[in-house]
Amino acid sequence: MNKKSMLLLKTLLRSTSRINQIKYVKDPKIRGKAIGGMIGLFVLYLMIVVYSFMMCVGYGQLGLTDSIPIICASIISMLAFVFTFFKTNGYLFAFKEYDMLMSLPFSAKTIAADKFLYMYVASMPWYLSVSVAMMIGYGIYAGANPLVYPVWLVLTFVLPIIPMLVASFIGFLIAKVSAGFRHKNIIQTVLIFVFVIFCFSLQYIIEALVKSDETKVILENVSGSIEDIGSVYLPIAWFADGIRSFDVAGILLLIGVSLVLFELVFMIVGKYYRQINSALKSHGADKAYKMTAQKTHSVVNAIAFKEFKRMTGSQAYLVNAGLGEVLAFLLGAIALFVKFEKIISVVTKGAPIDASIVFPAIPLIVYFCIGMVATTACSPSLEGKNYWIMQSLPIEQKTIYRGKMLYNMYLTVPFAVFATVCLSFSARVPIVNAIIYLAEIIALCAFSTTWGCVCGIKHMRLDWENEIEVVKQGAAVAIYLFPNMLVCMGLVVLVVFLGMRMDANLVSLAITAIAGLLAALCYGWVMKLSRR
Amino acid sequence: MSVLEIKNYTKVYGEGKKAADNISLTVEAGDIYGFIGHNGAGKSTTIRAIVGVLDFTQGEILIEGKSVKEDPIACKKITAYIPDNPDLYENLTGIQYLNFIADVFEISQKDREERIKKYGDMFEITESLGSLISSYSHGMKQKVAIISALIHEPKLMVMDEPFVGLDPKATFILKEIMHEMCQKGAAVFFSTHVLDVAEKLCNKVAIIKKGQLIESGTMEQLTNGQSLESVFMEVVNE
Repeated sequence: MNKKSMLLLKTLLRSTSRINQIKYVKDPKIRGKAIGGMIGLFVLYLMIVVYSFMMCVGYGQLGLTDSIPIICASIISMLAFVFTFFKTNGYLFAFKEYDMLMSLPFSAKTIAADKFLYMYVASMPWYLSVSVAMMIGYGIYAGANPLVYPVWLVLTFVLPIIPMLVASFIGFLIAKVSAGFRHKNIIQTVLIFVFVIFCFSLQYIIEALVKSDETKVILENVSGSIEDIGSVYLPIAWFADGIRSFDVAGILLLIGVSLVLFELVFMIVGKYYRQINSALKSHGADKAYKMTAQKTHSVVNAIAFKEFKRMTGSQAYLVNAGLGEVLAFLLGAIALFVKFEKIISVVTKGAPIDASIVFPAIPLIVYFCIGMVATTACSPSLEGKNYWIMQSLPIEQKTIYRGKMLYNMYLTVPFAVFATVCLSFSARVPIVNAIIYLAEIIALCAFSTTWGCVCGIKHMRLDWENEIEVVKQGAAVAIYLFPNMLVCMGLVVLVVFLGMRMDANLVSLAITAIAGLLAALCYGWVMKLSRR
Repeated sequence: MSVLEIKNYTKVYGEGKKAADNISLTVEAGDIYGFIGHNGAGKSTTIRAIVGVLDFTQGEILIEGKSVKEDPIACKKITAYIPDNPDLYENLTGIQYLNFIADVFEISQKDREERIKKYGDMFEITESLGSLISSYSHGMKQKVAIISALIHEPKLMVMDEPFVGLDPKATFILKEIMHEMCQKGAAVFFSTHVLDVAEKLCNKVAIIKKGQLIESGTMEQLTNGQSLESVFMEVVNE
């Protein structure tokens, strides 16, 4: 890493951190927001530390202490791959300050590699939160040699590099392929969705492929044994061996392969960098438009339509906000052809569960997909430099947020209803149950929309450098997402548990009422916030 | 040797539309070269290709004899670019941004302090350099972008609509700086819609229409006693 690369990395980090705001802004409101954002993030890191440590306690109590390094490496590798894959296209390609950076005497390789290193440094607190907690847990249960701690920490910094490079390279290939098409944005989005769905189904594809194969026994062991994860993805084994037995070869391999791969990936990316960005960032305006009859819309619908165009105009926004809807649609479509019992059997890997006990959880399963991201959580921040447009219009703020919320309902409800109807049909639930599930999922969509909007307004950030900062890693999205998903998972368990002990429809009705009430409260909160 | 030489430059977008078609022109040391044309004529695309931001389909762009395609770093070291709407790092202070650019161009501490002070005072922005760029007006951002472009004393300054957003005094100063640069042997290539400014400021001018260079040469050759505005209206309406 040369001097210029360090300089650029330092500037990228400085330009996106809140420290500069705290240092140089005098407005106490902005400073307060910046400090609040940092505290919020710290709380999230802390939650991850606690969760990871508790996981270690579980493994330790079960006598699986030796598996902790493997579990830790698996979680970090998976997080690194997923985080990077969804961010790559926004960070590496078609970013805002591309013109400014490319006109300076930096090589394309330096810019691309520094953007990658920026992602690496920015994501490191997440990986460290998992790793440090698990290191402490492992240390306690294994009575580890003091040398374990420095080795563990050093390897934590190396471990995410390979999955991040693989994710970046896949992102690069997708950008390269789509750069050759006229509708680049659509092609890029479709390719990303195809790849994500492929990743989701990979495990099941492997299992299906080996059903009548002699290697079935071997692969069944692979999926069943934590220890064997390392034989599927070698860097995990290198990490675990480095920690458990101070295997120098493993440590050197992990470091060496990461460095070689880094050089190789950015040699290739750097070669095509300008070409891809040129294709993605330059378009000729079509001059074939003929004036036709125009339609009128209500103000709220006009804002909702603007939100639709904002989402479809940004590949990063579309992929992140639309993933849940795509998953819900696929879940519904699969349910049309595969019986509900079979789906449950596949998901639970053939555990002896009576599928009917899962029926009341149908809306929550759909909500787990749909509620992943609410557009309302990021759309206030996404106004960015265009904020003045909405602010200067003769409409009340609450109308603006009503439009934003309406769009999220337009986006989520059809997919949620489709998936719920298909799953209910596949499960052959009575019509009354299906109607209750529909009411429940719509109430959940309303809650997701309004709660997202509260988070979006409370943690609005307009001064972003890259829209990924607010779409993927903004405080609003994080505060919306994590509790929402954890509560949803908890509710699935609770509903199944309660459904076995009392009338399951009553449980569903209770959830519908609570979700509806929370949605109404959050809506009121949004109206209150928009009066300020 | 010419400071900037564009030979048969062609840029075709992915959808097959030609943004620039076989453009050739030469900018010599001491030239203030105006590049004019309608909105969407291909000015910004050409400028972004000159400064190495945009890839191009055919042709060659040379800066002091070095190819933008083959040796981009060497070209960028002697070039400065001011885009029409500078996207600076908003969370840096003005001085942090200028130091970043000075570091990139490896400007000594003494030189950078001298130049930042000189141009900062000229543009009356020195006192605001300690604030975050996000708090600046458009004109202030433009001033910081101009100072960052001047900090390494470029041989070629390429600007896209540089006067947009500048107050009258800053506009005057920028014009003075352009003259001063050219007297020292550098060259300026810029696009503008303000034909009066181009006429008074430039010694050479090129007119682009639908990606094709339809006129280029010295101001005297081109106007031949007429105003630049009437020449422009004549050629673009043909």
